[in-house]
Amino acid sequence: MELKLTDLTKKFGDFTAVDHMNLTMTEGVYGLLGVNGAGKTTLMRMLCTLLLPTSGSITCDGKDIFKMDGEYRNLLGYLPQDFGFYPEFTVSDYLLYIAAIKGMRPAAARKRVRELLPKVGLDKAANKKMKKLSGGMKRRAGIAQAMLNDPKILILDEPTAGLDPNERIRFRNLISELSEERLVLLSTHIVSDIEYIANEIWLMKDGKLVQNGTVDEIINSMPESVWICTVEKKMADDMMKKHKISNLKSDAKGAELRIISAKKPLPNAQRVPASLEDVFLYYFGGKADEENVVV
Amino acid sequence: MLWYEVKKVFSKTSNKAGLVILAVMLAVVSYFAVIQVGYVDEDGNTKTGIKAARTLRDVKNQWAGYITEEVLVEVLEQNAAINASDEYQSKDVTENNKAYAKKQGLSDIRDMINRAFCGFREYDYYRADSVTTEEVKEFYNRRTLNLKEWLNSEEAKDQYTDLEKQFLVERYEELETPLYYEYADGWSALLEYGPSISMLLVLVTGFFVSGIFSNEFQLKADSIFFSAKYGRDKAVAAKVGAGYFIITFLYWTVMLLYSAIVIGILGTDGAECAIQAGFGGWKSFYHITYFENYLLMMFGGYIGSLFILTCSMLVSAKTHSTVLSVAIPFILLFLPSFLSGFSVLSDILGILPDQLLQMNMVVKYFNLYQIGKSVVGAVPVVMVLYFVLSVAAVPVLYGIYKK
Ligand SMILES: Nc1ncnc2c1ncn2[C@@H]1O[C@H](COP(=O)(O)OP(=O)(O)OP(=O)(O)O)[C@@H](O)[C@H]1O
Ligand SMILES: [Mg+2]
Repeated sequence: MELKLTDLTKKFGDFTAVDHMNLTMTEGVYGLLGVNGAGKTTLMRMLCTLLLPTSGSITCDGKDIFKMDGEYRNLLGYLPQDFGFYPEFTVSDYLLYIAAIKGMRPAAARKRVRELLPKVGLDKAANKKMKKLSGGMKRRAGIAQAMLNDPKILILDEPTAGLDPNERIRFRNLISELSEERLVLLSTHIVSDIEYIANEIWLMKDGKLVQNGTVDEIINSMPESVWICTVEKKMADDMMKKHKISNLKSDAKGAELRIISAKKPLPNAQRVPASLEDVFLYYFGGKADEENVVV
Repeated sequence: MLWYEVKKVFSKTSNKAGLVILAVMLAVVSYFAVIQVGYVDEDGNTKTGIKAARTLRDVKNQWAGYITEEVLVEVLEQNAAINASDEYQSKDVTENNKAYAKKQGLSDIRDMINRAFCGFREYDYYRADSVTTEEVKEFYNRRTLNLKEWLNSEEAKDQYTDLEKQFLVERYEELETPLYYEYADGWSALLEYGPSISMLLVLVTGFFVSGIFSNEFQLKADSIFFSAKYGRDKAVAAKVGAGYFIITFLYWTVMLLYSAIVIGILGTDGAECAIQAGFGGWKSFYHITYFENYLLMMFGGYIGSLFILTCSMLVSAKTHSTVLSVAIPFILLFLPSFLSGFSVLSDILGILPDQLLQMNMVVKYFNLYQIGKSVVGAVPVVMVLYFVLSVAAVPVLYGIYKK
């Protein structure tokens, strides 16, 4: 199976949210990284047939997904970024309902729900009303919902938002487990979410794809190097103005800086291997989330 | 799928409250309909309830049968005899009530005499007291004469075309006489309070169905819904189906319960009587029985509910606003009464959907419509018009929401 985007563009009035994207996806995990407003959600909503492209096309094995209609949606599992539930439904009612609109037979649906609930850690909450779930539990119900029809194309828009660190790790494992024989596209601003599980990473900025490739390819694509050096605390501010700093650790002795720079920034600086986070910072500049810059 | 859509509606707390309101409403309206029928006992006290209704029925059914000249004369004679009694002549209200108690059996026929011998648009309760046994032979003719007189009056002269006037007179002349009379107070009470319950029912059902389409958006559940396999076909159809299922189920449950309670208590007698054989229906140009009038009320009300609530669902699907959608039934039901002051609108007002919820009244109105060369009353017009519109709206509703 192959999903192909050709010159895919979406405009809202004069504003271009997705700008001539050309990509091809097959099986595997694709990590979509980008800052707020990069156009990730817009791209994903088009892939889920919820938004019509202004121009360009999306094809699935050569067929236009908007013409495939139910046949395409049958392959699809979607976890939206911002979504809601029916507050008075219990978790299992909710899942059974979604299973029904996904065209599953009641018996198959019940079996599938029983399988999925423990996977997303909701087995004890099966009979809880949706309105009584915590934010993270809701998101897990959302993931379960997307997985119901065993989709060949799984689209997850910031699936880890609101999950605690334990959950996030569990989720990562779940995704790598689920990713066999399917196409998973997941967006995030959190580099560590996809660093180890994505087969391919896309860096998206202002509606355009700035880089794509495996983690190593992306890291190697960065023309600058990463340096570590220790400076006096009062110098740290000055350095931050001059260079892109991907990390700062300070203690009594001084500040340890992680600097992205083409040239050696200071005589005592030591060159270290770059990480995906460094690359993220390099491409997205100071705009990166606090969380990513100073972990 | 349909089952979950229905469950979604009734799992909402506000809608659960709506069901309780419906139950209370049913009890209250049925109560008012039942106490509508009162029997005045020999001591002049008014009684209501099953026993009173049964007694009244027995008293009235002593007069059951065709209202022939002999019957009319007998009514006048008995009426005169009671009028001459001490109780009737007394200044004491209780004594007067005792006199009335004796008139109960013949009161319906006496009232028809009042109607027949007053002008078309007048009513004088004491008119029967001065009708002679000779005059009363004109009883049935007077009905048509009154109509003709009125149609030539200043008030009505320009209100109807010649064709329409002719239609009315012909209809009147078609009435089969003599009329058959029987106690039918159960049916008239049922018909009288029918509109109250069906209107309340439409308003409450409006709350149930208004969210079916718009809630997905308010709850932000629309993305998942529309990206699911059936999200743009079968699941939408299930929503449409759930809407009509809820409307149909609630309408027939509540209306049939209401009918069963009222008729169960007040009695089924009179179903086969013409509505003209009673106080309210004397002037109607629709020659139907009480039972037929009841069927009209039930099916008319159903078509009206379907139409009004379809409008509500259309607004819900189109605007994604529950509030706007809930407001639709209120507008459709109450706006016409605000506009009734404007006589220029009366032709239009006669065929607005709210009319379907008051079929008991519509059969008494003189709203006429000319289609080509033939004249029809409002009843067939509204029944056909809104049935067709409601059916035609189903694919539209489906199409709008799919987008
Ligand atoms: N319906 C819309 N109308 C107008 N502009 C929109 C609409 N939806 C999105 N945009 C704009 O398009 C741009 C991209 O939005 P999008 O939601 O795709 O970004 P994102 O990468 O998902 O961001 P985030 O990380 O915050 O979720 C933003 O500038 C946004 O304001
Ligand atoms: Mg987004």
